Amino acid sequence: MTSRQEDRRGLGRRRFLTTAALSGATIIGATALGGIDADAAFAAEPSLDPAIAKSSFVEGRITGITGSILEVAGSYGDHARVQMTNATSVWKVRATSAAAIEIGDGLYARGVPMPDGTIAADAVWVNIVNLDTQIRGIAKNRLHLAHGQHEVVGNVLPATTNASYAGRALTSDLSQLRIGQSAQVLGAWRPSDNSVDVVRISVGH
Amino acid sequence: MLSLTTGLAPLVLAGLLGWTGAVKLFSRGTVLGAPKTALARMLSSSERAALVLRGVGAGELLIAAGLLAVPANPLPGAAAALLGAGFLGYLGYGRALAPESSCGCSANEDTPITWRAFARAAVVLVSGVAAAVAHGSWWSTVSGRPAGSLGFLAAAAVVLIALSADLDRWWLLPLRRARLRVFGHPLFGTGAGDRVPVAASVELLENSLAWQAASPVVRSALLDHWEEDGWRILLFSGVYETAEGAWPVSVVFALDATSSRDTPGDPVVRVSFLDADSGEPVGAELLSTVPSRKALPLAS
Repeated sequence: MTSRQEDRRGLGRRRFLTTAALSGATIIGATALGGIDADAAFAAEPSLDPAIAKSSFVEGRITGITGSILEVAGSYGDHARVQMTNATSVWKVRATSAAAIEIGDGLYARGVPMPDGTIAADAVWVNIVNLDTQIRGIAKNRLHLAHGQHEVVGNVLPATTNASYAGRALTSDLSQLRIGQSAQVLGAWRPSDNSVDVVRISVGH
Repeated sequence: MLSLTTGLAPLVLAGLLGWTGAVKLFSRGTVLGAPKTALARMLSSSERAALVLRGVGAGELLIAAGLLAVPANPLPGAAAALLGAGFLGYLGYGRALAPESSCGCSANEDTPITWRAFARAAVVLVSGVAAAVAHGSWWSTVSGRPAGSLGFLAAAAVVLIALSADLDRWWLLPLRRARLRVFGHPLFGTGAGDRVPVAASVELLENSLAWQAASPVVRSALLDHWEEDGWRILLFSGVYETAEGAWPVSVVFALDATSSRDTPGDPVVRVSFLDADSGEPVGAELLSTVPSRKALPLAS
Protein backbone atom coordinates (compact mmCIF):
# COMPACT_ATOMS: atom_id res chain seq x y z
CA MET A 1 0.00 0.00 0.00
CA THR A 2 1.44 3.41 -0.89
CA SER A 3 1.54 6.17 1.67
CA ARG A 4 -1.02 8.09 -0.37
CA GLN A 5 -3.41 5.19 -0.20
CA GLU A 6 -2.70 4.93 3.52
CA ASP A 7 -3.42 8.62 3.93
CA ARG A 8 -6.70 8.25 2.09
CA ARG A 9 -7.60 5.23 4.19
CA GLY A 10 -6.65 7.16 7.34
CA LEU A 11 -8.79 10.10 6.27
CA GLY A 12 -11.69 7.81 5.48
CA ARG A 13 -11.32 6.17 8.86
CA ARG A 14 -11.19 9.53 10.62
CA ARG A 15 -14.32 10.68 8.81
CA PHE A 16 -16.08 7.47 9.75
CA LEU A 17 -15.03 7.85 13.40
CA THR A 18 -16.07 11.52 13.42
CA THR A 19 -19.53 10.60 12.16
CA ALA A 20 -19.77 7.84 14.74
CA ALA A 21 -18.69 10.15 17.55
CA LEU A 22 -21.15 12.88 16.60
CA SER A 23 -24.03 10.41 16.39
CA GLY A 24 -23.15 8.96 19.78
CA ALA A 25 -24.60 9.73 23.18
CA THR A 26 -24.35 13.32 24.35
CA ILE A 27 -23.30 13.62 27.97
CA ILE A 28 -23.27 16.97 29.69
CA GLY A 29 -21.57 17.62 32.99
CA ALA A 30 -18.33 17.91 34.83
CA THR A 31 -16.82 15.68 37.47
CA ALA A 32 -13.66 15.92 39.49
CA LEU A 33 -12.75 12.25 39.19
CA GLY A 34 -10.09 12.65 36.50
CA GLY A 35 -8.71 9.76 34.57
CA ILE A 36 -5.92 7.73 33.11
CA ASP A 37 -3.61 10.07 31.33
CA ALA A 38 0.08 10.78 31.51
CA ASP A 39 -0.21 11.74 35.17
CA ALA A 40 -1.38 8.23 35.97
CA ALA A 41 2.18 7.07 35.30
CA PHE A 42 3.15 8.84 38.52
CA ALA A 43 0.10 8.13 40.65
CA ALA A 44 1.36 7.24 44.10
CA GLU A 45 -1.75 5.33 45.05
CA PRO A 46 -3.60 2.78 42.97
CA SER A 47 -6.32 4.41 40.96
CA LEU A 48 -9.96 3.73 41.63
CA ASP A 49 -10.41 3.50 37.90
CA PRO A 50 -11.65 -0.02 37.10
CA ALA A 51 -9.42 -0.18 34.00
CA ILE A 52 -6.34 0.27 36.14
CA ALA A 53 -7.27 -2.19 38.86
CA LYS A 54 -6.88 -5.09 36.42
CA SER A 55 -3.67 -3.78 34.96
CA SER A 56 -0.07 -4.24 35.77
CA PHE A 57 2.62 -1.69 35.42
CA VAL A 58 6.08 -1.83 33.86
CA GLU A 59 8.87 0.69 34.19
CA GLY A 60 12.45 0.72 32.92
CA ARG A 61 14.76 1.20 29.94
CA ILE A 62 14.13 -0.41 26.58
CA THR A 63 17.02 -2.75 25.81
CA GLY A 64 15.68 -4.31 22.64
CA ILE A 65 12.81 -4.28 20.19
CA THR A 66 11.81 -7.56 18.55
CA GLY A 67 8.94 -7.10 16.17
CA SER A 68 6.15 -5.71 18.31
CA ILE A 69 7.74 -6.75 21.62
CA LEU A 70 9.75 -4.33 23.73
CA GLU A 71 12.37 -5.80 26.04
CA VAL A 72 12.42 -3.68 29.20
CA ALA A 73 15.08 -3.72 31.91
CA GLY A 74 13.45 -2.43 35.10
CA SER A 75 15.16 -0.04 37.49
CA TYR A 76 15.26 -2.71 40.19
CA GLY A 77 16.94 -5.42 38.16
CA ASP A 78 13.69 -6.93 36.94
CA HIS A 79 12.92 -7.67 33.31
CA ALA A 80 9.70 -7.46 31.34
CA ARG A 81 8.50 -8.04 27.79
CA VAL A 82 5.92 -5.56 26.61
CA GLN A 83 3.70 -6.55 23.70
CA MET A 84 2.53 -3.61 21.59
CA THR A 85 -0.83 -4.00 19.88
CA ASN A 86 -2.63 -1.77 17.42
CA ALA A 87 -4.82 -0.61 20.30
CA THR A 88 -1.82 0.51 22.38
CA SER A 89 -1.50 4.24 22.83
CA VAL A 90 2.04 5.60 22.62
CA TRP A 91 3.06 8.89 24.20
CA LYS A 92 6.42 10.38 23.34
CA VAL A 93 6.13 14.13 23.80
CA ARG A 94 2.75 13.76 22.09
CA ALA A 95 0.40 10.97 21.05
CA THR A 96 2.38 9.08 18.42
CA SER A 97 2.90 5.57 17.04
CA ALA A 98 5.09 2.67 18.11
CA ALA A 99 7.55 3.57 15.33
CA ALA A 100 8.77 6.49 17.47
CA ILE A 101 10.06 4.18 20.21
CA GLU A 102 13.84 3.66 20.22
CA ILE A 103 16.23 1.39 22.05
CA GLY A 104 17.60 3.21 25.11
CA ASP A 105 14.37 5.08 25.76
CA GLY A 106 12.83 5.03 29.22
CA LEU A 107 9.36 3.57 29.44
CA TYR A 108 6.29 3.40 31.61
CA ALA A 109 3.65 0.98 30.41
CA ARG A 110 0.28 -0.13 31.69
CA GLY A 111 -1.18 -3.34 30.40
CA VAL A 112 -2.62 -6.75 31.03
CA PRO A 113 -0.43 -9.78 31.87
CA MET A 114 -0.70 -12.49 29.22
CA PRO A 115 -0.34 -16.26 29.78
CA ASP A 116 2.98 -16.28 27.88
CA GLY A 117 4.53 -13.87 30.39
CA THR A 118 4.39 -10.77 28.21
CA ILE A 119 2.36 -7.73 29.10
CA ALA A 120 -0.10 -6.61 26.44
CA ALA A 121 0.24 -2.86 26.71
CA ASP A 122 -2.82 -0.62 26.85
CA ALA A 123 -0.78 2.54 27.12
CA VAL A 124 2.91 3.31 26.88
CA TRP A 125 4.61 6.54 27.95
CA VAL A 126 8.12 6.92 26.58
CA ASN A 127 10.76 8.98 28.42
CA ILE A 128 8.09 10.67 30.51
CA VAL A 129 9.35 12.67 33.48
CA ASN A 130 7.53 14.64 36.14
CA LEU A 131 9.83 17.11 37.86
CA ASP A 132 9.43 19.51 40.74
CA THR A 133 11.56 22.42 39.59
CA GLN A 134 12.32 26.07 40.00
CA ILE A 135 12.54 28.33 36.95
CA ARG A 136 16.03 29.83 36.87
CA GLY A 137 16.12 31.28 33.39
CA ILE A 138 13.86 31.88 30.40
CA ALA A 139 15.01 32.02 26.79
CA LYS A 140 13.28 31.93 23.42
CA ASN A 141 13.40 28.17 22.98
CA ARG A 142 14.35 26.83 26.37
CA LEU A 143 13.86 27.16 30.09
CA HIS A 144 16.61 26.75 32.65
CA LEU A 145 15.26 24.72 35.52
CA ALA A 146 16.70 23.66 38.85
CA HIS A 147 15.54 20.24 40.03
CA GLY A 148 17.01 19.66 43.49
CA GLN A 149 20.74 19.37 42.89
CA HIS A 150 20.38 19.22 39.13
CA GLU A 151 20.30 21.93 36.53
CA VAL A 152 17.91 20.88 33.78
CA VAL A 153 17.44 22.44 30.37
CA GLY A 154 13.78 22.40 29.37
CA ASN A 155 13.19 22.68 25.63
CA VAL A 156 10.19 24.80 24.67
CA LEU A 157 8.44 23.23 21.70
CA PRO A 158 6.10 25.39 19.63
CA ALA A 159 2.53 24.04 19.56
CA THR A 160 3.42 21.39 22.16
CA THR A 161 4.54 23.15 25.32
CA ASN A 162 1.57 24.25 27.40
CA ALA A 163 1.34 26.04 30.70
CA SER A 164 -1.17 26.04 33.51
CA TYR A 165 -1.30 29.05 35.80
CA ALA A 166 -2.74 28.71 39.29
CA GLY A 167 -4.75 25.62 38.43
CA ARG A 168 -6.41 27.09 35.38
CA ALA A 169 -6.82 25.25 32.08
CA LEU A 170 -3.79 24.54 29.89
CA THR A 171 -2.82 27.27 27.48
CA SER A 172 -0.10 27.71 24.89
CA ASP A 173 0.64 31.17 26.28
CA LEU A 174 3.97 30.85 28.12
CA SER A 175 4.54 34.57 28.66
CA GLN A 176 3.39 34.50 32.28
CA LEU A 177 6.24 32.28 33.42
CA ARG A 178 8.55 34.11 35.82
CA ILE A 179 12.08 33.49 36.99
CA GLY A 180 12.15 32.12 40.52
CA GLN A 181 8.73 30.42 40.31
CA SER A 182 8.27 26.85 41.48
CA ALA A 183 7.10 24.81 38.53
CA GLN A 184 5.89 21.26 38.09
CA VAL A 185 7.14 20.05 34.73
CA LEU A 186 5.70 17.12 32.85
CA GLY A 187 7.85 16.35 29.88
CA ALA A 188 9.90 13.93 27.88
CA TRP A 189 13.51 13.26 28.69
CA ARG A 190 15.91 13.33 25.73
CA PRO A 191 18.47 10.58 26.30
CA SER A 192 20.91 12.13 23.79
CA ASP A 193 21.62 15.36 25.71
CA ASN A 194 19.80 14.80 29.02
CA SER A 195 17.51 17.76 28.43
CA VAL A 196 13.75 17.65 28.84
CA ASP A 197 11.12 18.55 26.26
CA VAL A 198 8.59 20.49 28.30
CA VAL A 199 5.05 19.36 27.56
CA ARG A 200 3.23 20.89 30.49
CA ILE A 201 4.50 23.35 33.03
CA SER A 202 2.30 24.20 36.01
CA VAL A 203 3.05 27.21 38.16
CA GLY A 204 1.19 28.66 41.11
CA HIS A 205 -0.41 25.28 41.72
CA MET B 1 50.47 43.87 38.35
CA LEU B 2 52.28 40.78 39.64
CA SER B 3 53.39 42.55 42.79
CA LEU B 4 49.82 43.78 43.22
CA THR B 5 48.52 40.22 42.88
CA THR B 6 50.99 38.67 45.30
CA GLY B 7 50.65 41.62 47.67
CA LEU B 8 46.86 41.49 47.83
CA ALA B 9 46.41 37.72 47.50
CA PRO B 10 46.47 37.26 51.30
CA LEU B 11 43.69 39.83 51.70
CA VAL B 12 41.46 38.27 49.01
CA LEU B 13 42.12 34.79 50.33
CA ALA B 14 41.44 35.88 53.90
CA GLY B 15 38.12 37.36 52.77
CA LEU B 16 37.07 34.16 51.00
CA LEU B 17 38.24 31.78 53.72
CA GLY B 18 36.85 34.02 56.46
CA TRP B 19 33.42 33.96 54.83
CA THR B 20 33.27 30.22 53.99
CA GLY B 21 34.90 29.32 57.33
CA ALA B 22 32.45 31.41 59.34
CA VAL B 23 29.49 29.94 57.47
CA LYS B 24 30.74 26.38 58.00
CA LEU B 25 31.58 26.92 61.67
CA PHE B 26 28.62 28.98 62.86
CA SER B 27 25.73 28.33 60.47
CA ARG B 28 23.00 25.93 61.56
CA GLY B 29 22.84 24.93 57.91
CA THR B 30 26.03 22.95 58.36
CA VAL B 31 24.25 20.27 60.36
CA LEU B 32 21.16 20.38 58.14
CA GLY B 33 23.16 20.23 54.92
CA ALA B 34 25.77 17.73 56.06
CA PRO B 35 23.82 14.57 55.13
CA LYS B 36 23.65 15.77 51.52
CA THR B 37 27.37 16.38 51.11
CA ALA B 38 29.76 14.02 49.40
CA LEU B 39 31.67 14.04 52.69
CA ALA B 40 28.80 12.27 54.44
CA ARG B 41 28.99 9.54 51.80
CA MET B 42 32.73 9.26 52.27
CA LEU B 43 32.56 9.03 56.07
CA SER B 44 29.21 7.18 55.98
CA SER B 45 27.94 9.36 58.81
CA SER B 46 26.20 12.73 58.77
CA GLU B 47 27.34 13.57 62.31
CA ARG B 48 30.98 12.96 61.47
CA ALA B 49 30.58 14.95 58.23
CA ALA B 50 29.12 17.89 60.19
CA LEU B 51 31.97 17.65 62.70
CA VAL B 52 34.58 17.60 59.92
CA LEU B 53 32.88 20.54 58.16
CA ARG B 54 32.92 22.54 61.40
CA GLY B 55 36.59 21.62 61.93
CA VAL B 56 37.48 22.71 58.39
CA GLY B 57 35.54 25.94 59.00
CA ALA B 58 37.58 26.62 62.15
CA GLY B 59 40.78 25.88 60.21
CA GLU B 60 39.73 28.28 57.44
CA LEU B 61 39.06 31.03 59.99
CA LEU B 62 42.45 30.41 61.58
CA ILE B 63 44.19 30.61 58.21
CA ALA B 64 42.23 33.77 57.33
CA ALA B 65 43.33 35.38 60.61
CA GLY B 66 46.93 34.34 59.94
CA LEU B 67 46.83 35.77 56.41
CA LEU B 68 45.50 39.06 57.71
CA ALA B 69 47.84 39.37 60.71
CA VAL B 70 51.15 37.97 59.44
CA PRO B 71 51.08 38.24 55.64
CA ALA B 72 54.88 38.09 55.39
CA ASN B 73 55.00 34.72 57.08
CA PRO B 74 54.73 31.95 54.42
CA LEU B 75 52.99 29.54 56.82
CA PRO B 76 49.33 30.72 56.44
CA GLY B 77 49.78 30.95 52.67
CA ALA B 78 51.20 27.44 52.50
CA ALA B 79 48.36 26.17 54.70
CA ALA B 80 45.80 27.83 52.38
CA ALA B 81 47.47 26.26 49.33
CA LEU B 82 47.33 22.89 51.06
CA LEU B 83 43.66 23.48 51.87
CA GLY B 84 42.98 24.38 48.21
CA ALA B 85 44.73 21.21 47.06
CA GLY B 86 42.70 19.26 49.61
CA PHE B 87 39.45 20.83 48.32
CA LEU B 88 40.38 19.91 44.74
CA GLY B 89 41.07 16.34 45.76
CA TYR B 90 37.84 16.15 47.75
CA LEU B 91 35.79 17.63 44.89
CA GLY B 92 37.33 15.21 42.40
CA TYR B 93 36.65 12.29 44.72
CA GLY B 94 33.14 13.54 45.51
CA ARG B 95 32.36 14.04 41.84
CA ALA B 96 33.44 10.49 41.06
CA LEU B 97 31.81 8.97 44.15
CA ALA B 98 28.54 10.87 44.35
CA PRO B 99 28.03 13.34 41.50
CA GLU B 100 24.58 14.24 42.80
CA SER B 101 25.72 15.29 46.25
CA SER B 102 26.38 18.84 47.34
CA CYS B 103 29.96 20.02 47.76
CA GLY B 104 29.46 21.58 51.18
CA CYS B 105 31.86 24.28 50.02
CA SER B 106 30.12 26.96 52.03
CA ALA B 107 27.84 24.49 53.76
CA ASN B 108 24.65 26.54 53.68
CA GLU B 109 23.38 25.80 50.20
CA ASP B 110 22.53 22.81 48.08
CA THR B 111 25.18 23.56 45.54
CA PRO B 112 26.09 20.60 43.40
CA ILE B 113 29.71 19.94 42.50
CA THR B 114 30.22 21.82 39.24
CA TRP B 115 33.18 23.34 37.44
CA ARG B 116 32.65 26.48 39.50
CA ALA B 117 33.41 24.62 42.73
CA PHE B 118 36.62 23.30 41.14
CA ALA B 119 37.56 26.77 39.89
CA ARG B 120 37.04 28.27 43.35
CA ALA B 121 39.21 25.59 44.97
CA ALA B 122 41.86 26.25 42.31
CA VAL B 123 41.72 29.97 43.20
CA VAL B 124 42.36 29.06 46.85
CA LEU B 125 45.33 26.91 45.83
CA VAL B 126 46.88 29.51 43.50
CA SER B 127 46.37 32.48 45.80
CA GLY B 128 47.66 30.38 48.71
CA VAL B 129 50.90 29.86 46.76
CA ALA B 130 50.96 33.58 45.88
CA ALA B 131 50.46 34.50 49.54
CA ALA B 132 53.21 32.11 50.60
CA VAL B 133 55.77 33.70 48.27
CA ALA B 134 54.65 37.29 48.97
CA HIS B 135 57.28 39.41 50.70
CA GLY B 136 55.55 42.63 51.72
CA SER B 137 52.40 43.07 53.74
CA TRP B 138 49.03 43.74 52.13
CA TRP B 139 48.58 47.03 53.97
CA SER B 140 51.78 48.42 52.47
CA THR B 141 50.52 47.44 48.99
CA VAL B 142 47.15 49.09 49.65
CA SER B 143 48.70 52.30 51.00
CA GLY B 144 51.27 52.33 48.18
CA ARG B 145 48.83 51.91 45.30
CA PRO B 146 45.32 52.62 46.64
CA ALA B 147 43.51 52.98 43.27
CA GLY B 148 45.08 49.88 41.73
CA SER B 149 44.43 47.90 44.93
CA LEU B 150 40.79 48.92 45.02
CA GLY B 151 40.34 47.91 41.38
CA PHE B 152 42.07 44.58 41.97
CA LEU B 153 40.00 43.81 45.07
CA ALA B 154 36.78 44.69 43.26
CA ALA B 155 37.72 42.43 40.33
CA ALA B 156 38.68 39.62 42.70
CA ALA B 157 35.37 39.97 44.54
CA VAL B 158 33.43 39.80 41.25
CA VAL B 159 35.33 36.66 40.20
CA LEU B 160 34.76 34.96 43.54
CA ILE B 161 31.05 35.84 43.59
CA ALA B 162 30.68 34.53 40.04
CA LEU B 163 32.38 31.29 41.10
CA SER B 164 30.10 30.81 44.12
CA ALA B 165 27.01 28.93 43.00
CA ASP B 166 25.32 29.54 46.36
CA LEU B 167 25.29 33.30 45.72
CA ASP B 168 23.44 32.94 42.37
CA ARG B 169 20.08 33.84 43.79
CA TRP B 170 21.47 37.16 45.02
CA TRP B 171 22.79 38.32 41.66
CA LEU B 172 22.21 35.91 38.75
CA LEU B 173 18.44 35.55 39.08
CA PRO B 174 17.84 39.30 39.65
CA LEU B 175 20.08 39.99 36.65
CA ARG B 176 18.05 37.61 34.49
CA ARG B 177 14.79 39.11 35.78
CA ALA B 178 16.05 42.58 34.92
CA ARG B 179 16.96 41.39 31.43
CA LEU B 180 13.40 40.10 30.92
CA ARG B 181 12.04 43.44 32.10
CA VAL B 182 14.26 45.41 29.76
CA PHE B 183 14.09 43.22 26.66
CA GLY B 184 10.60 41.80 27.17
CA HIS B 185 9.52 38.24 27.87
CA PRO B 186 11.13 35.97 25.26
CA LEU B 187 8.07 33.72 25.18
CA PHE B 188 5.59 36.53 24.68
CA GLY B 189 3.41 35.99 21.64
CA THR B 190 4.86 32.58 20.80
CA GLY B 191 1.66 30.75 21.74
CA ALA B 192 -1.04 29.87 19.25
CA GLY B 193 -3.27 32.75 20.31
CA ASP B 194 -6.68 31.77 21.59
CA ARG B 195 -6.54 28.25 20.21
CA VAL B 196 -7.26 25.65 22.86
CA PRO B 197 -4.41 23.10 22.94
CA VAL B 198 -5.31 19.43 22.53
CA ALA B 199 -3.98 18.79 26.03
CA ALA B 200 -6.58 21.23 27.37
CA SER B 201 -9.34 19.34 25.53
CA VAL B 202 -8.09 16.07 27.04
CA GLU B 203 -8.06 17.72 30.44
CA LEU B 204 -11.62 18.94 29.95
CA LEU B 205 -12.66 15.46 28.82
CA GLU B 206 -11.11 13.84 31.87
CA ASN B 207 -13.08 16.18 34.09
CA SER B 208 -16.36 15.40 32.36
CA LEU B 209 -19.24 13.13 33.23
CA ALA B 210 -18.79 11.49 29.81
CA TRP B 211 -15.32 10.33 30.79
CA GLN B 212 -16.65 8.96 34.03
CA ALA B 213 -19.31 7.05 32.13
CA ALA B 214 -16.85 5.68 29.57
CA SER B 215 -13.97 4.96 31.93
CA PRO B 216 -14.94 1.31 32.61
CA VAL B 217 -14.36 0.71 28.90
CA VAL B 218 -11.41 2.98 28.10
CA ARG B 219 -8.05 1.24 28.45
CA SER B 220 -5.52 3.29 26.49
CA ALA B 221 -4.36 6.86 26.75
CA LEU B 222 -5.00 9.24 23.85
CA LEU B 223 -4.43 7.37 20.58
CA ASP B 224 -5.17 10.06 18.03
CA HIS B 225 -6.90 13.40 17.69
CA TRP B 226 -8.12 15.63 14.89
CA GLU B 227 -10.55 18.43 14.22
CA GLU B 228 -13.58 18.50 11.98
CA ASP B 229 -16.31 21.15 11.68
CA GLY B 230 -15.35 22.81 14.95
CA TRP B 231 -15.35 19.50 16.81
CA ARG B 232 -12.25 18.08 18.35
CA ILE B 233 -12.29 14.31 18.08
CA LEU B 234 -10.30 12.31 20.64
CA LEU B 235 -9.74 8.62 19.98
CA PHE B 236 -9.03 6.01 22.65
CA SER B 237 -9.12 2.24 22.61
CA GLY B 238 -10.81 0.04 25.14
CA VAL B 239 -12.46 -3.23 25.98
CA TYR B 240 -16.23 -3.59 26.22
CA GLU B 241 -17.11 -6.40 28.60
CA THR B 242 -20.45 -8.09 29.05
CA ALA B 243 -21.51 -11.37 30.60
CA GLU B 244 -21.02 -13.05 27.20
CA GLY B 245 -17.50 -11.86 26.58
CA ALA B 246 -15.19 -8.97 25.90
CA TRP B 247 -14.77 -7.02 22.67
CA PRO B 248 -12.02 -4.59 21.71
CA VAL B 249 -13.59 -1.24 20.93
CA SER B 250 -12.62 2.21 19.74
CA VAL B 251 -13.87 4.95 22.02
CA VAL B 252 -14.46 8.26 20.25
CA PHE B 253 -15.22 11.50 22.00
CA ALA B 254 -16.24 14.73 20.30
CA LEU B 255 -15.85 18.05 22.10
CA ASP B 256 -16.18 21.67 21.14
CA ALA B 257 -12.68 22.53 19.92
CA THR B 258 -12.83 25.95 21.55
CA SER B 259 -13.78 24.97 25.08
CA SER B 260 -11.47 24.15 27.94
CA ARG B 261 -11.77 23.73 31.69
CA ASP B 262 -11.95 27.53 32.00
CA THR B 263 -14.98 27.78 29.71
CA PRO B 264 -18.08 28.54 31.79
CA GLY B 265 -20.86 25.99 31.85
CA ASP B 266 -20.80 22.23 31.82
CA PRO B 267 -18.75 20.48 29.15
CA VAL B 268 -20.77 18.89 26.36
CA VAL B 269 -19.21 15.66 25.16
CA ARG B 270 -20.45 13.21 22.57
CA VAL B 271 -19.20 9.68 22.96
CA SER B 272 -19.47 6.43 21.06
CA PHE B 273 -18.12 2.90 21.47
CA LEU B 274 -17.38 1.18 18.16
CA ASP B 275 -16.47 -2.45 17.69
CA ALA B 276 -12.80 -2.42 16.67
CA ASP B 277 -13.34 -4.91 13.83
CA SER B 278 -16.78 -4.22 12.42
CA GLY B 279 -17.12 -0.54 13.34
CA GLU B 280 -20.60 -1.20 14.67
CA PRO B 281 -21.68 0.90 17.66
CA VAL B 282 -21.82 -1.15 20.86
CA GLY B 283 -22.53 -0.59 24.51
CA ALA B 284 -24.92 2.30 24.06
CA GLU B 285 -26.70 1.20 27.25
CA LEU B 286 -23.56 2.02 29.28
CA LEU B 287 -23.77 5.60 28.12
CA SER B 288 -27.52 6.04 28.37
CA THR B 289 -27.54 5.17 32.08
CA VAL B 290 -25.62 8.32 32.97
CA PRO B 291 -27.91 10.50 35.09
CA SER B 292 -28.44 13.84 33.44
CA ARG B 293 -27.86 15.68 36.68
CA LYS B 294 -26.11 18.94 37.16
CA ALA B 295 -22.71 18.72 38.78
CA LEU B 296 -22.58 20.43 42.14
CA PRO B 297 -20.28 23.44 42.13
CA LEU B 298 -16.95 22.57 43.71
CA ALA B 299 -15.11 24.94 45.98
CA SER B 300 -11.63 25.29 44.59
